[in-house]
Formats: sequence, structure tokens, C-alpha cells
Amino acid sequence: MAEFFDAEPVTKGYDSQITRRILAYLKPYRLFALIVLITLSVSTAGELLSPTLIRQAVDEALVREWYGLDPSAASRFRSKNGSREIVINNRIYVRTSQLAGITEKERTAMEKQGLLDASPSYIFPLEPDREKKEALALRYSQITISGVWGIVPYSLLTSLSPDDAYLLRSQDSPVLGHYALLLLLVLSIVLLSTFAMTWYTNHIGTLIMKDMRLQLYRHVIEQSLAYLSRQPVGRLVTRLTSDIEVISQFFTDVLSAFIKDATIMLGSLVVLFVLNWKLGLVVFATVPLIFVAAAIARVKARDAFRNQRYWTSKVNSFLSEHISGIDIVKLFVQEKRVSEKFGENNRNLLKANIAEMYVYATFRPFVDFMSTIASALAIFFGAILFLRLDISIGTLIAFINLISMFYSPIKDLSEKYILLQSAMASGERVFGLLDSDDRLPEQLPVLADKEAPSVIRGHIELSNVWFAYKNEEWVLKNISFTVNPGEKIAIVGYTGAGKSTIANLLARFWDIQKGAILIDGVPIGQYPLKRIRKFIQPVPQDVFLFQGSIRENIALGLDLSQEQLETAAKAVYAHEFIMALPKGYDTLLSEGGLNLSLGQRQLISFARVLAHEPSIIILDEATSSIDTETEKLLQKGIEGLLKDHTSIVIAHRLSTIRDADRIIVLGQGHVVETGTHSELIERRGLYWNLYRLQNREME
Amino acid sequence: MFKEYATLLPHLKQYRFRYIAGILCLIAVDASQVLIPRYMKTAIDTIVSGSFQLREIVQPLLIMIALAVLISVGRFFWRYFINVASRRIEAEMRDRLFAHILNMSGGFFRTNTTGDLMARATNDISTIRQATGMGFVALVDGVFMTAMILVAMFANNARVAAWIILPLPLITALILLFGRIVGKLFKKIQDIYGRLSNIAQESISGIRVVKSFVKEDYFFGRFAQANSEYKNAIMDLVKTSGFFFPFITFLAGLSTVLLVLFGGNASIRNKMTPGSIIAMLSYLEMLVWPMMSAGFTVNIVQRGAASLKRINEILNTKPEIPESKNLVNGEPLGDIEIRSLSYAYPGSSRMALENVSVHIPHASMLGILGKVGSGKSTLLKMLPRMLDPGEGHIFIGGTDICSFKLDTLRAAFGMVPQESFLFSDSIRANILFAAPGLDSARFEEITRIAGLDRDVSLFPHGWDTIVGERGITLSGGQKQRIALARALAANPSILLLDDALSAVDGETEERILSALLEERAGKTTLVVSHRISTLRNADQIIVLDGGRITQKGTHEELLEDSEGFYAKIAALQQLEQESCASCGDAGSGEALGEEAAGG
Repeated sequence: MAEFFDAEPVTKGYDSQITRRILAYLKPYRLFALIVLITLSVSTAGELLSPTLIRQAVDEALVREWYGLDPSAASRFRSKNGSREIVINNRIYVRTSQLAGITEKERTAMEKQGLLDASPSYIFPLEPDREKKEALALRYSQITISGVWGIVPYSLLTSLSPDDAYLLRSQDSPVLGHYALLLLLVLSIVLLSTFAMTWYTNHIGTLIMKDMRLQLYRHVIEQSLAYLSRQPVGRLVTRLTSDIEVISQFFTDVLSAFIKDATIMLGSLVVLFVLNWKLGLVVFATVPLIFVAAAIARVKARDAFRNQRYWTSKVNSFLSEHISGIDIVKLFVQEKRVSEKFGENNRNLLKANIAEMYVYATFRPFVDFMSTIASALAIFFGAILFLRLDISIGTLIAFINLISMFYSPIKDLSEKYILLQSAMASGERVFGLLDSDDRLPEQLPVLADKEAPSVIRGHIELSNVWFAYKNEEWVLKNISFTVNPGEKIAIVGYTGAGKSTIANLLARFWDIQKGAILIDGVPIGQYPLKRIRKFIQPVPQDVFLFQGSIRENIALGLDLSQEQLETAAKAVYAHEFIMALPKGYDTLLSEGGLNLSLGQRQLISFARVLAHEPSIIILDEATSSIDTETEKLLQKGIEGLLKDHTSIVIAHRLSTIRDADRIIVLGQGHVVETGTHSELIERRGLYWNLYRLQNREME
Repeated sequence: MFKEYATLLPHLKQYRFRYIAGILCLIAVDASQVLIPRYMKTAIDTIVSGSFQLREIVQPLLIMIALAVLISVGRFFWRYFINVASRRIEAEMRDRLFAHILNMSGGFFRTNTTGDLMARATNDISTIRQATGMGFVALVDGVFMTAMILVAMFANNARVAAWIILPLPLITALILLFGRIVGKLFKKIQDIYGRLSNIAQESISGIRVVKSFVKEDYFFGRFAQANSEYKNAIMDLVKTSGFFFPFITFLAGLSTVLLVLFGGNASIRNKMTPGSIIAMLSYLEMLVWPMMSAGFTVNIVQRGAASLKRINEILNTKPEIPESKNLVNGEPLGDIEIRSLSYAYPGSSRMALENVSVHIPHASMLGILGKVGSGKSTLLKMLPRMLDPGEGHIFIGGTDICSFKLDTLRAAFGMVPQESFLFSDSIRANILFAAPGLDSARFEEITRIAGLDRDVSLFPHGWDTIVGERGITLSGGQKQRIALARALAANPSILLLDDALSAVDGETEERILSALLEERAGKTTLVVSHRISTLRNADQIIVLDGGRITQKGTHEELLEDSEGFYAKIAALQQLEQESCASCGDAGSGEALGEEAAGG
């Protein structure tokens, strides 16, 4: 449910430092990144190539125009574009593209002098079907035949019957096939390279997600308990799950898309300019307007998005909170008012949703409109250039295609920008968590792993220990006592007297402020942290079982044989009820272990402790109420648990500790009384009173 | 499938004009879009002819621009009409769902967890919105657009059109297939993601166990494994989606190839102008989207139906606690009479209450003592019918509580439950939850009674400090006292305190109690407590054990039975107080007593 309460900022402005840190995760995958860049270039090139191929097909097969020139005027155009010319009847025929650059004035002048044809012609080879073509030439006087060539004015060609037209143009059909094949090839390359690009982008994105998540998880679980107890669990889980997810989107959806879009836009502009720089300029003139619009839309979309997220989380948290607190709503008969308040939030969300709709409803149609305007402009100025023989019809068509290619990435630019900003916000939070380090410091000199004993005798000494969880609110004040190996010590006292704290300190979940805790004579801080925790096993009040089987919960990853497992379970009298479960040790525990009784869960946690073979056990007795039968079972379980171990029992039920070697009575952080059960009874102090009362109640 | 959509009918009907206007806009947009290539064709054919005046192409271009304006305006307005309607329906459905949830009773919330209800109110509602918004648009747009483009294309050149649209139905088929495959893969991803976050959640919640058994590496390993599986599951999806979308582009491109081939050959036979080919090219481009959206529409409508089914399940559930047929007007006032009341929770064989009878005179105070699970809270919840006692067991002023209107009955009570639930709102709003119009003098008074007057200076924004995750974290005692003030604000004729001051220290409790007794003079109060110091103020005390009343009487009477539970607890707490005086603490003396009472 964590995300419903998440009121953290969802977007953040671009931050180059965060970007650099995110990008640093790319380093191990440079090779993949290179592949992405290559495939991306290939697919972009392919996409840009398609319109040019269509252009070629149009110019080479569909509208194949020639102009006749007088040889005296021909030299002027010869240098251009190599020389594709055909000489027929002492007149030199060139393709329209070779006449580019001629001015209207020159053209009319040349036409008047007969140096240049006024209208285009089509030139066809006489072979094959020579007789048919000659017959056709007899029917139409405008068709001239000279040598191996025939010439027909374009206007006549386009008005011939289909069969006649095809007779003259049969040479164009294979050209079409040629371009269709090329186009198919390009499409296949685009298909493959796009797939490869998507694959490798996601590969990189998910690999980085995996690395980052593992790094963060490792970082989190290594932190001290003091630090972790301050952090809401939900928030840490959000960091590990959705925040990392958003950052991985930075690679899969933002970075590659930005590069792809940018290259497509830049590439189509470049191709436009290469095809014809004048017409390119005309199209480019519409670009600043679209960028201004995009800049405005970006800000508006971001604000709308924030607003939408704000009200969504408000509505959701209101919902989840009032469902959780439904009893209160009903008890105070506030259904109507709560419903109205919800309606108010809901209306605000509606407004935010509609506001977001307006941003996209305005921006996207506007981009489409600009795209059409650009096409219209291109056609208009293209027509002028066409009249001046500056461009071919194929080029004009390529322009129309490229313009729509240029405009389409702009449409979802603002969505991508929001993704970028979300990644920035998540990055800031994740790095913030990674940068905070609150592990327990090792106390110098730490024994090296080899020096630290692998077995301890179990001697514990607390001398003048002072401890506070925060500031100077002392929980333990000047506590001293000694536990000899093999002894069973009990600690009793009021809630808040500091009993459970002693368990925390011996497992070194916290470090003390004053005094010393010695284990086998060595300060606890000098043991490697993980080693000391293997020796000393606290058994907390609240049993925490993980989802999974009973076997997994006892072994916690240890490689235990069935026999070892059963030995541990039998020692604490858990074997019997476990075997009575439908799947024995492989019975799955549901969330929080709800399908077992409290006592049974306790026993499983005891078996878990024994399976891990600690030297010292610190048992924090559960305070919760249990029925008499479980009570008896637990009693036996505790006996089995503590047998042959040095142990400290933090007791709430005095009956369990009658056989303790020593009983320490704590009050407000001080040791009030110490002694064996019988000594303390004889003293007729606080312990005696407590015992008498509780004992009576047990009966 | 469509019968689930019946729930939406009233909403759709309400917005029928918006939908009709939206459809008209869509049709206008589609028609204009289909017309644009026609004018583009005219312009290009004019240009190709070679001999033309500039103004000849200006006219088609101006028409193109006019159409583009129409399209942009039309696009804005269909969004305005349809998206707003779908957003409104979404909001109304959410309102309706929440209002219905508010009317449900206890049993409903035991079977439907908060998480499940939230999923319905968020994911399902949003799926329904997609069906009524984008799904609807895609359907209308797809149908009209496809029809018009096909007409235009076939009018242009039927033979060529027939060839080049061949690959397009494949796109629809692919999207449908894609929806199925992706649905499965996506579910797998979600499952693994759930597992991943579960491991994180569990190992952080149980970090004590993890650390005390030095299992960091073990959990790291489990997390790492789930993390890898998650990565692989995503890549499985990428395998599909990474191929599908480029393949759709490929299919669309294939149409272009066919156009070059067939259109080109038609053109050199003078059966088609170059302008027509360009027009066809535009049409093809336009057809890709409706072909894809046809597939999407089917998926959206199917998912919408599934979501509606889940919503309908909730909307069709009737409240459990029925109101009696012969309701009486008037408010519950007078003596409370509980007659041989027994109750077992649904699905439990154990009796939570067994044959409980007690008479509570008007304006008196009843104290209740008992171990954990003895039925104290259950008894209190019966009175405002949070749990239903059934007819003939509880009477107020001689009238069966089941005969009162539920709202009237509950309004007579003020309850401070064991778990003090506060809303993440300001402290003031929490206190005024049941009485928003309370005047400030009375507000001051009840906060003083609840002992909050001293705390207010500690809150960063005074009474307007926000409670909960986003605001300050309150101590248990502060929460309990705010809950007490909340109950007092309603000025109830019957106040129910369910161990309401357990987290308040002894000294403050004394203060609160004396003020509270004064406040409650002339009104009835029921107090569950572990503290003898609290209970001794009651006019009558009952001791519950296993759902039965084992002792009944005044403080003095109960003390006389020295072997009774009440006297034992009293002695223990007395002793603690004395011994605590010796260790300099007067505050936490009750703690052990509570444990004893519990154990």
C-alpha cells in the first residue's frame, strides 16, 4: 500500500549530476551500448532511406522526363550530375534534374530561340516490339523515331491508351520491381535493426535495474538496526521497487527514445537540405514555432502531471485510509460527511484529469496542424521550384514524407520529458539512500577473522553499562552483572525497565554509550559483527516467520539434513505438531504465519535457534496471552531450547525461571535485587511479592 | 460479456449528448483526413502536368489547410466531449463505489481486504474509463476511418487498392494475438515483481531475525534470484513486444512496397496518376492506426468487462446489518439493559460472549475488567451495533436497539476504541471528526478534559499539525487522548471507553479521569480498563472471563472477595505502586499488572 501514501515529489528538474551517476551504471555494458548505437543508426538510416527510395522510383520510373537541348546550349548543363544524355537528331536530351538552377527568364529566352524544349518528352528504345512502336508512331505524328530511340511528348504519353502507354514504357516496369525489392530490403533491415535495438536497450536497462537494485538491497540490509528502525519499511520497499523501476525506464524509454527521435528529426532535416536546400529552408522556417509550442507544452504537461499525481494520491490515500478506518466512520455516523469530502477530492482529481486532457488535446492537434502547414508550404514552394526545373516531382514527394517523419516524434516529446523528470526524482531518492551510511562502527582493534575465536565458552560480563536509544534518555543505568558459562540467568522487571534492551545489546544491535560488555573477556565490539551474532542468539518476543515452508523457516538457508531438522524440532517439542500438519515440514506458512497458533510459531522459532547452534541464547519471553495447554507446551519447549546452553531469560511469567541460577530484578534501568529464586523469596522483597501474586493466579 | 456493461448505462445515458457530439467531431475529423490526400493529389497532378499557373495549386493547398484547421479543432473537441465524459463517468463510478463501501458492515471488510478494495477502486475503475474513453473512440474512429479510406482507395483504383491492403488485416490479427500473449507475460512479470517486493518487505520487516541469525547473505541470495527472474521475465516480454511493433511497421511498409509495384505498373499504363499514388501512400499511412486500434479495442472492451464484473460484485453486495421493519422514531435514552446476550464470531465455534446480562442505570458508570480475549471489546461493539446482537438482547430506555434507526442509534454513542485510529488530517480535524461545527470554547474544554492542552504547544503547527506518515508521529498516549477528545466532541449520551487510556501515564490519567467524571455527570459511561485506579470510580463493575460475567459489584464489594480476580489485580497494582515509589518511579506501575491480567 506504500505507494498510496507516497506524497514525495514525482518529478524533478534535469540534474546533470544525477544523470552522470545514473549513466555510470552503463559502464560495464559499454559493448551493448555500442551495439545499440549501431543498430539505432542503421534503423534510422533505413527509415530515412525509404522516402528517398520512393523518390527514386518516382523519378526513374513514373515521371521520367527529358528535355531536348540545342548542342550549342548543352555545354552549360553538361558538367552537372555526370552526364546522362541521349543524342537524337543532333539534339541533346537531358533529364530534368540536370536543368536545375536555370532562371525563369533564361528559360523563356532559350525556349524562344529554340535552344530548349518548352515541354518535357519521354524517350524510349525502339527494341523490343519495334514494329508495334513504329506502327504507333505512324498513328501519332508527335512521336518521332530516330535510330534506336523514339521520342514522345510527355503530354501525349500520359493520354495514350493503357496498352499503347505500356508498349512505350515497358522499360520502366523492371525499374519499379528493382526499387520495390530495394525497399523491401531496407524494410527488412529496419525490422531487424529495430528489434535488435529494442532488445539491447531493454537488456541494458534491465541489467542496470538488476545491478542497482542488488546494490541498494545489500546496502539497506547492511545498515544498523538503529537506522532501519527509524525508516518506514514501506518507504525502503518503494526505493527498492518502483524507484529503481523508474530509473530503468530512463534507459529503456527515455535515453534511447531521445537519441532515436533526435536522430530521426535531425536526419530528416539533413536529408531535406541535401535534397534541396531551398525547400529545406522553407520547411525549417516552421520549426521554431513548433519548438516554442513544445517548450510551452512541456511545462504545462509537467504541471498537469504533477497536479494529476497529487490528486490521484490524495484520492487513493483518502480511500485506503477510510476503508481502514471504516469503524470510526460508522461509529460516529460520518458516512455522509466523509462521502462528501471524498466527492470533493474526487472532483479535484477530475479537474486535474481534465486539465491534463486539455494540454494534450491542444498540443497534439497543433503539431499535426503544423505538419500539414509544412507540407502545404513545401508543395507551394516546391511547385515554384518545379516550374524552374529546380526539383523533380520525386523530390517533392520525398519532402512530404520526410516532413511527417520530422513531426511525429514531437507529439509525445512532453510525455518523454515527464519520464525523464520522474527518473531524476527517483534517482535523487535512491542515491540519497545509498549515500546515507549508518552501519555499526567496528571498535578498534577488531580481531581479524582468523584471530577471532570460532568457539566461545559463554562468559558474559556487563560492567557499568549505560545505554540510551536516543539522546540522554537512559534506558539502562550503570548495569553490572556476570554470567558464567553454562549458567541460566533470569531478568525480571517492569515493562520499560530495560529488559529487552539487554538482549539487543548482547546481539550488538546497538552499541552502548558507557561501560563495557565483555564476551569471554573480549569487548563485544572487537569481534567481527557477524561472528558475535553467530555465538549469541536472541529469541525476540514477537515471532517473525517468513513466507515459505516450515523447513525453510527453521533452516533459513542452512544445508540441514532431515535428521538435523527433526532433532532441532524434537528438542523443543515442535516435531509432533509439525508432522500433524498436512505437508509436515514442507507446509507453507501464509502471510505472518496465520495458520499456526502463537505457541506453535514460538516453537518453530525455537527450533530455528537450535538449528543454528548458538553458544549463548537470550530468550525474551512473549507477553501475549496463550491458553493453558500451549503454555505447558511452551514450557517444555523453553526447557529444551535452553538445555546445555548459557542463557539469559527475560521473564514475564515468573514460573518459568524458578530453576534459574540467578535472578536479576530490574527497575527503571537499575538492578534492584539479585539472587536465586529461594534467596529472593527469603528476602521477601519485590520478587517475593510478585511471585506470590502470580503464583496464586496460576492455580 | 456485455451484460456487465449494464452498470454503466445510466452514466452513458447521462452523457449521450457528449458522446453524440464527440462522434460527430470524430466523423468530421476522419472525413477531413481522408479528403486531404485528394487535394494533395490534385496539387501534385497539376504540378506533374508541367504547365500550370501557381494559383491553380493555391486553391487545393488552401483547402488542405482549411481541412487541417478543421481536423485540429475537431480533434480538440472530440477529446473535449468524449474524454471529459469518460473522466466524469470514472469519477462518478468511484463516488458510487465508495458510497457503497461506506454502507457495508463488518463482515464485508473481513472478506474484502483494504488492498483488494483499493485495487478495484483504482485499477478497475481506470480500466473502465479506458473502455468508455479510448476504447470507444478507437471503435468509432476505427470503423469510420477504415470505411472512408477504403471507399477512397477503391474509388481511386480498385485493383491496386485490393492488392496493397492485403497485409493490413494481419496487423489487427497480430495486435489481438499480441494482447493475449502479452497479458500472460505481463501477469508473470507482475507475479515476480510481487515476489521481489515481498522479499524486500519481509526481510526489512524481519530485519532483526535476518541480522541475529546473520542471514544477510541468504536473503541477499533470495532477493538476487528473484531479481534475476524479474529481469528475465521482462526480457521475455521484450522478445515479443520488441518484435511485434517493428513487425507492424514492416507490414505497413510491405503495403508501400506493393503500392510501388502495383501502383507503379498501373501508372505506366496510364491507369493511375502519380498524384494518385501519393494519395494512396497517405491513405496507407492513415490505415495503419485503425488496423491497430481494432485489435486494441477488442482488448480494452474485454478488460473493461472483467473490471466491471469486479466492480459489480461490490455494488451488488447488500449491507449485513438490516434495519428492523418496525422502526421507532426517537433517540436512545435511559437505562441500558443487556439480557442474556451470547455471541460467536462468524466461522468460530468459541463463544465470545455467553449469557451476559447486566443492567446499567441511566447516568451511571460501568467498569469492565477482564483478561485479553474475555469479550470486553465484543460487548462494547454490540451496543452501537458494530456487531449485531440480534433482536431481544439489548434495550435502551426499554426499546430494543434494533428498533432504532442505525444512524440514530450510533449517534447516541461515543466510542474510544482500543486501537486509536486517526486519519492523516490535522489534529483539529480529527477531534472535530464527528462535530465539525463545534464552537471554540467547547473545543478548548474537551481538549482540556482529554489532557491535550499541555501537548498542543509541542505540536509544530498547534492544532493544525498533520497526523501520520506525512506529519508528526504521535505517541500512543497522545493518539488515545485525541481519540478521547474526538468521542467527547460528539457529546454522546453514552460514552464507551475500550481500554482507552492504556498508553497514558498514571499522573495524566488521574487528571483526565477527574475531569472526565465531571464532564460525564448525568450521562452514561462504560469503561473497559486494566487499572483499578480507573475502575474504582465506577458505580458498578463487572469482571469478564471467557465471555461470561464472573464478578459483579462495586469496587468495595469486589475487594471483599479476596480470592476474586478483581481483588488480586488490585493487590498487585497496589504493590507495584509501593515498590516503584522506592525506585523513584510513579508512572509505569501498572505495566506488570497488565501482564499479569493478560497471562
